[in-house]
Amino acid sequence: MPQRLGGAARLRGHARAETVVTAHSYDGVALCCPVTEPYVRRSEHGAAWFLARALRRLLNAGNLTKPDIDGLCVSSFTLHPDTAVGFTQYVGMSPRVLEWLPMGGACGVIALRRAARAVQAGDAEIVACIAGDTANETSFRALLADFSSFSRDAVYPYGAGGPNASFALIADAYMRATGATREDFGTIAVAQRANARRNPLALLRNEMTMAQYLAARPIAEPLHLFDCVMPCAGADGFLVMPEARARARNLPFLRVLGAIERHNAFPDDPVQLRGGWAMDRDALWGQAGIGPRDVRLVETYDDYPVISMLQFEGLGFCAPGDGPGFVRRHDFTIEGSLPHNTGGGQLSVGQAGAAGGYLGLVEAMRQLLGEAEGRQVANARHALVSGFGMINYDRGLCTSAAVLGRA
Amino acid sequence: MIRLQRCADCGAAQYPPREVCGACLSDRLASDSADSLPARVLARTRLHHSNEPRFRARLPLTVGLVQFDAGPVAVCFLAETAAQGDAVQVRIGADDLLEAA
Repeated sequence: MPQRLGGAARLRGHARAETVVTAHSYDGVALCCPVTEPYVRRSEHGAAWFLARALRRLLNAGNLTKPDIDGLCVSSFTLHPDTAVGFTQYVGMSPRVLEWLPMGGACGVIALRRAARAVQAGDAEIVACIAGDTANETSFRALLADFSSFSRDAVYPYGAGGPNASFALIADAYMRATGATREDFGTIAVAQRANARRNPLALLRNEMTMAQYLAARPIAEPLHLFDCVMPCAGADGFLVMPEARARARNLPFLRVLGAIERHNAFPDDPVQLRGGWAMDRDALWGQAGIGPRDVRLVETYDDYPVISMLQFEGLGFCAPGDGPGFVRRHDFTIEGSLPHNTGGGQLSVGQAGAAGGYLGLVEAMRQLLGEAEGRQVANARHALVSGFGMINYDRGLCTSAAVLGRA
Repeated sequence: MIRLQRCADCGAAQYPPREVCGACLSDRLASDSADSLPARVLARTRLHHSNEPRFRARLPLTVGLVQFDAGPVAVCFLAETAAQGDAVQVRIGADDLLEAA
């Protein structure tokens, strides 16, 4: 069988990934107006309400009217049975570019990429990117039970643990492979809680010590309560437009120095100990013209701390397998050696469905725009934002990352 | 139920089931007829929480990620004693609580 598996790998074409054409730059694109419809634990509102609230905040922040927005990127899990298409009629808009991006935790950077290319090509001038979800007793279970065909057929029947069970398996394999300990995961979670205490938008702001983290009840061993994000409702958004337009409107903006995405990377790895970032990080840093050592602000996708460690490794902040060592060498708080998930991340802010894929991006934007108020990181000129989404079966399929810079 | 498929054209084994071979895209697929298949435990978890009431009375449940010797990976219930790296036999077609022992 090994020869046959090798043949399958060639057919899938991953050997060619290193020779892809270099992507064009994102020159001339402005990223502005991070907005958040505040997260709440539960809501009787539908997903469209949260998305519309984020859209309204974008109009206010950009001093725009609806017809000014001619491009729209939308991500949501609980908007079902609607998509971005139905949402245009719901909110009375007629965009000439419309993207429906069901890529979960990777959707923020992917929306940014789609919007930036639409702006560069002239297909749209001002693109609103929004992601949001509602949360109630029935929405979460319904989503899990029918998340994907593979999950429905081959994961959920085995205990219905949901993402906690899938990530527990990844965490267990990662701990054996690298020597990571619960304390290493706790270092990430505890630092993020300290950051969240300075973020009025975070739902979890009580102090959390390492002892409290370690004493939490088990959910899906080796994962315990504070390794798991809290599902909630909310929405986030931002605008993408030509730099000239942002200047004309006096909107402070950021530049996109580089951005990548990858789907179903390394399909022959039996268990996910690396994500697609490892395939594309050279393209990312090459496009950005800087390296991981030049970045002092990092926002990773932290649905579970182990996934942040895969991002540190995959994006070149440390060597593969050195995630635990990297965590032990750093302080991830606002004034620490590497400020990470500076708003508290999903672990402390909450996971508002698809908005979880925007959370790190809007936080990085606020930091670089100097709008982070009581949690402002000093002198950050660049930020790395990464995303991870969609446990379709046994692993997350979508990865993304972007390097942002001050204008 | 866990069933392994084999492609009649390229011989690849696959799981979860689909209507085409994920390697060569042929639709000439057959289910493996063995009652159990050898596999190795890649990872395990003990579930203390379930989203479905039917599982709650049976918690904690041991669930594993196993790789068949034939290649594909499956999520399945695991004997409590099975540890990472152990060789196991996965019962094919069963849907009771112990598919790998």
